Amino acid sequence: MIIHIIKRDGRKVPFNIEKIANAIFKAAQAKGGTDFNAAMDVAVEVCKLYEEQNPGKTPTVEEIQDLVEKTLIEKGHAKTAKAYILYRYERTRSREMKTNLMCVLNELTFSAAKDSDIKRENANIDGDTAMGTMLKYGSVSAKEYYEMYVLEPAHAKAHREGDIHIHDLDFYTLTTTCSQIDLKKLFTNGFSTGHGYLREPNDIASYSALACIAIQSNQNDQHGGQSIPTFDYAMAEGVKKTYAARYIQNVARALSLIVGVDNEFEIADKIKKELREKYDLRPVLANDNGYSEKEAELLAEYTDSETIKKIQAFAVKNAVKETDRATYQAMEALIHNLNTMNSRAGAQTPFSSINYGTDTSPEGRMVIKNVLLAQEAGLGNGETPIFPIHIFKIKEGINYNPTDPNYDLFKLACRVSAKRLFPNFSFIDAPYNLKYYKEGDPDTEIAYMGCRTRVIGNVHDPSREIVTGRGNLSFTSINLPRLAIQSDHNVGLFFEKLEEKMDLVIDQLMHRFNIQSQKRVRNYPFLMGQGIWIDSEKLSPDDTVGEVLKHGTLSVGFIGLAEALKALIGAHHGESEEARELGLEIISTMRHRLDEESQRTGLNFSLLATPAEGLSGRFVRMDKKRYGIIEGVTDRDYYTNSFHVPVYYPISAFEKIKIEAPYHELTNAGHISYIELDGDPLENLNAFEKIVRCMKESGIGYGAINHPVDRDPCCGYTGIIGETCPCCGRKEHSNNVAFDRIRRITGYLVGTLDRFNDGKRSEEHDRVKHNV
Amino acid sequence: MELRIAGTVNDSIVDGPGIRFTIFTQGCPHNCEGCHNPQTHDFSGGTLVDTDELLEKIKGNPLLDGVTFSGGEPFCQAHVLAELGKEIKSLGMDIITYTGYTFEKLYENREQNGWGELLSVTDYLIDGPFILDKKDWEIKFRGSSNQRYIDCQESLKQGTAVECEP
Repeated sequence: MIIHIIKRDGRKVPFNIEKIANAIFKAAQAKGGTDFNAAMDVAVEVCKLYEEQNPGKTPTVEEIQDLVEKTLIEKGHAKTAKAYILYRYERTRSREMKTNLMCVLNELTFSAAKDSDIKRENANIDGDTAMGTMLKYGSVSAKEYYEMYVLEPAHAKAHREGDIHIHDLDFYTLTTTCSQIDLKKLFTNGFSTGHGYLREPNDIASYSALACIAIQSNQNDQHGGQSIPTFDYAMAEGVKKTYAARYIQNVARALSLIVGVDNEFEIADKIKKELREKYDLRPVLANDNGYSEKEAELLAEYTDSETIKKIQAFAVKNAVKETDRATYQAMEALIHNLNTMNSRAGAQTPFSSINYGTDTSPEGRMVIKNVLLAQEAGLGNGETPIFPIHIFKIKEGINYNPTDPNYDLFKLACRVSAKRLFPNFSFIDAPYNLKYYKEGDPDTEIAYMGCRTRVIGNVHDPSREIVTGRGNLSFTSINLPRLAIQSDHNVGLFFEKLEEKMDLVIDQLMHRFNIQSQKRVRNYPFLMGQGIWIDSEKLSPDDTVGEVLKHGTLSVGFIGLAEALKALIGAHHGESEEARELGLEIISTMRHRLDEESQRTGLNFSLLATPAEGLSGRFVRMDKKRYGIIEGVTDRDYYTNSFHVPVYYPISAFEKIKIEAPYHELTNAGHISYIELDGDPLENLNAFEKIVRCMKESGIGYGAINHPVDRDPCCGYTGIIGETCPCCGRKEHSNNVAFDRIRRITGYLVGTLDRFNDGKRSEEHDRVKHNV
Repeated sequence: MELRIAGTVNDSIVDGPGIRFTIFTQGCPHNCEGCHNPQTHDFSGGTLVDTDELLEKIKGNPLLDGVTFSGGEPFCQAHVLAELGKEIKSLGMDIITYTGYTFEKLYENREQNGWGELLSVTDYLIDGPFILDKKDWEIKFRGSSNQRYIDCQESLKQGTAVECEP
């Protein structure tokens, strides 16, 4: 006897023969039939046949329907069979049309990105292009599949209903979020991208080109941001090699011109080799290692000491100039490449970040200066580059005070950021960053990835508390305003609900981690195959990656602390001292729970101030539907990012910084604070620097200053443009050309407001500028 | 003391060097064509505020380099602003005052309306009406090219307008 049947979605339910008979009877009725018993006879026959053919097996709906068709035809009910087949087809089609997936695919195919929020979920993808749409097909199908077949039902339900948000769900079983790439390690002895082997680079131009390739290749193995944590130190190696080569070339030129030899390159090369082999000496930018003196001894064979001095002075002067120029061009190329090369399923430029500012060697300083100048110059037509995100690391004794060796570069960083929104600023001196800092070891300097992610502490291996080779594995955010609304002003209840939700999310992160851990090195040909991830070089292609992944972080994020406070006690942390205290208590509780979990499991659980791109609108839309419009909570189109004071709330920059700073210490998986300025800070760089200094003094870990960057594509003017371009007097939309308006969204810059999703668009509109 | 204002702005970076607290006074007799803030012209508009309140806000923002009196026409409420200005200066901040009058006109009539008092607390004066034909986006902190950035204290000493670079 058939007891169960397996439905299309995989569920096993009790078998009911009447349902089979009913379907057959409906088909018969369509052809004029009136005899239910005849339909029941066919159904009984079908069951008998199935049991004969598949003793003891549980049938699927499809198998039964196939048998019904076959039986109807064999028993001579041709007309009914035809109606049944048609009925079955219609049912299938309507079922599929009704499913979310098909509707979504339909929307992706036939709606323009400007009308479709799913197409603008991620501002870095152009949803109107073929590859952008293909990427979205894959993404929405994967999400549907995971929700139905992979996630634990409790996790799927919480995600679907908006209690939590599992970020990058489309990559749930596939890969991890992000990495901080150690270029020095990668470049030493060269690397392979899968189709060929790349030798160790020998010139700053190839250093920068390979840096882009590393970012691009690794982006194909991960869904999150790719960061270079020690960009200046890594590129300085390239500058060193370029300088040495240019110096030798210029010695040769001078020999030819002044001494009049014919085999100048031969001579220069011979001297170079001899000095390297005998004394391990190479020409260096600082020109302080004794190379000149030894070289002069060898040059004496060809000319007098006066001429040698001349030759060397000429070679130094020109080599410095040429190396500086080559470095600028290399940095310019890097920025251009990172804004044009595609990765991550071919439809996105990689989410790239570079951290720099602390290398005080002449080579490192040359890198920092030139990457800043290239950013300042912008792209081909002077456009503001969207990638990479630049992060200038600030450290007392290195670049913070006027007597520090790189203070000039900090000033330059302020000037460039005042024009181009990047660099952002990270603060090594913040106590929770400083505790990892070891002088002379750049791997211990805090670095940030993309919009805010931070990975440095390591409970799995406390001897490896470094930034390089590590990253976030996955993160899931909690909808704090909903918990607050459900608690109905009962703070105690809120904490109970929060604890439950934390347990659920930790459970879900472990579920995902266990899947990720089963993956093998060969699933990540670059990330693991080329040793980007810490210790992966010790594994072979068929090894699982679980053990090395333990260096990564599992993060719980949160959205809308401000709205949660508003719902709980009627004021957010910009408005009242009571809210400030409660806010810190909530976030401390979350952090505490994660520290406990880390101690218990030896895994790096951490707390993230979630960047809320698609999420800022999604949660509030769902809550508005459920709970209606609640003033200060669900009455906008977005929830406030993580712990931020709401963007619509007027507050001085100083107060905002003071209120937000303590949350930076608590959110060890990453954080950022923004200050909005409405004027052109280029005209007032002292004001700009003062705000950055205020962030540092207040204990902010990572901060940035937002200001409008508009550009008229017709005349090329960059600055603040209202209705009319102040340079050429052209009105917006005259000649059918709109002004470009660059804004920051979830930490990434976006070239036009068109790619903002609805929640973000209205958030940008509400931002209170700390200015007229 | 009460001051009639159109509004205030924290952390302004466009009303003079550094980070400034800007007070937009309410009421202006100049009626310049193309004025950026026409809503500040009406002498009965805006709101009356206690200057102590303003002072509290200023004291509460350690990022400030100074305070800017803008408008409106600050010299229409010169007495009150001069008193407020003294308090602000005792905090170690500088004062920039915008005016639609010229320095010469204010200096000539310095014995009247409290104009001399306001001049004496002003570090930098940005003077002259906004003239639409002379509108210029390139000059710092000013709207039209006839407007000058004046070292007010030096000018009072010399009895003539001494311009300087912001």
